[in-house]
Amino acid sequence: MNIPLEYILVLSSSLFIVGAAGVILKKNAIMVLMSIELMLNAANVNMVAFSSYYGDARGQVFALFSIGIAAAEVAVGLAILLNLNKLKKTVNVDDINLLRW
Amino acid sequence: MDYSALYPEIILALFAIAIPAVGMMLKDSKFLAAVSLAGVGLAMLAVFMYFYEGLGAVVFDNGLLVLDDFSGLFMMVFLAVAFVVILASGKFIEGEKHASEYYSLILLATVGMMLVAASTDLFVLYIGIEITSISSYALVAFRKKDIKGTEAATKYFIFGGISSAFTLFGISLVYGITGTTSFEGIGAAVGSLVEFKEMIWLALVMVIVGFGFKVAVVPFHAWAPDVYEGAPSTITAMLAAGSKKMGLVAMFKFFLIAMLAIKADWEMVIAIMAILTMTVGNLAALNQTSIKRMLAYSSIAQAGYILIAIAVGTEFALTGGIFHILTHAFMKGGAFIIVATLAVVAIGERISDYKGLAKRSNFMAFSMTILLFSLAGIPPLAGFASKVVLFSSPIQGGVAGAEWLIWLSVAAIINSAISLYYYARVVKYMYVDELDEDVPVAKLKLPKSMMAAVAICVIAVIGIGLYPEYFIQLCQDAARALLA
Repeated sequence: MNIPLEYILVLSSSLFIVGAAGVILKKNAIMVLMSIELMLNAANVNMVAFSSYYGDARGQVFALFSIGIAAAEVAVGLAILLNLNKLKKTVNVDDINLLRW
Repeated sequence: MDYSALYPEIILALFAIAIPAVGMMLKDSKFLAAVSLAGVGLAMLAVFMYFYEGLGAVVFDNGLLVLDDFSGLFMMVFLAVAFVVILASGKFIEGEKHASEYYSLILLATVGMMLVAASTDLFVLYIGIEITSISSYALVAFRKKDIKGTEAATKYFIFGGISSAFTLFGISLVYGITGTTSFEGIGAAVGSLVEFKEMIWLALVMVIVGFGFKVAVVPFHAWAPDVYEGAPSTITAMLAAGSKKMGLVAMFKFFLIAMLAIKADWEMVIAIMAILTMTVGNLAALNQTSIKRMLAYSSIAQAGYILIAIAVGTEFALTGGIFHILTHAFMKGGAFIIVATLAVVAIGERISDYKGLAKRSNFMAFSMTILLFSLAGIPPLAGFASKVVLFSSPIQGGVAGAEWLIWLSVAAIINSAISLYYYARVVKYMYVDELDEDVPVAKLKLPKSMMAAVAICVIAVIGIGLYPEYFIQLCQDAARALLA
């Protein structure tokens, strides 16, 4: 059974929009991080969908790569946020205001 | 499989893996710096051998990566930046924990930049960008007890994450629209699109936003001054001279190879962004009190100049763009390393801290003057030579029906004039103003390795300025290799 390409594109664009909205609206840095992950996963869904549409394995292979990269990114990001929490006792993005002109 | 196109990256990656192991036994920062320098030197030798043997383009694995005049030149630039930064770091991070990880990450970031320069495929390009980005997030956060550094790293990480999400989504759309990921394949496909003609617009917007964040193009530049100010100064040098240039290389590849066929659709957007970027960068730099912030805004402005090369898109313009990237790497890298060197002897990062510097260290004041004047574009320094080529390209361009491109030159020249004000202000502080009364007039004792790093940048700037023909030739070969 084939799912039409349009359905998957609607799913991936809504994922991306939800992620982008989360990045803009959420105050907690961890939530921002999760929203970024949503956006990355939206791209991965796209990649897999197009890959099966064209019958070309490259998209799926790259989706795997990109999942790995996203995991590495989260690892570094969480470490930075942990350290921020240790120094400032907060991960609220509004309180990150030492550096400004 | 023939790995000869990958030798420089392989050498550097091996050193990056080996350094933490060496660091288990010997924790001395200077020793680890020497080992990393050896790695960078070997990689440089590998690139040099390639140029020396004149092999033409060496392709890896049916065209995922290529070593040609373009990627070879940029590998040299990135390796030179890494060399200077590591040379300065030996003393700069002395006595801090995790020195081995620091050097390992610098080398890995450089490997990522080199992969971007060598990539001929969108996926490889993305992986290269991410390797550099993830390493530099960790490097910005290197001083764990430093609250400013941690804050800068948080901002860098969040904006970098948004950037890569947009880039990846854009890449996935490009893949979906054209069914291929190699730049040449995309370039051939976008010219004759029938099915998804409007979709390519969405993909372009996504990629422009993604790369815009990476390069800190206005209106996506807000993070850059904060991050450049908060990061350790040597790392700032690497971000400004290396990873920002990587973003520009990625833009060259994406726009001038993959999207060249629909240039009429995006050249106006890039041109407007170029003018906005240089203007906002220069105006914001005018009244900065922190030298790192001032240099950060000046970096933004310089990225605006380089965008001219993409908007014009001729071989001549690309030559100028590549040449300006080359000279800017030395000018900005050197300037940030001077800030780092002076920080070692407890001179602060406010511009007013540089008052009377010439009396305390003639060499530092002289070097800073040369680098800043070169950034402003005063002959006979390197910045002048590259700006001449770059700014004359819209006029000389020979792009039919795009006479409005001349306004790019006009804007860039006006901006250069504005920028002279804030560069000259620092020089005035260093040479004309008196020292504050509570500061002793004694000569500064500066670490030799860091002075050597600064000296390399100054010599490069003067040398390129005096003999630009040879370097213009190199850049022209590179531009030809990219556009061919």
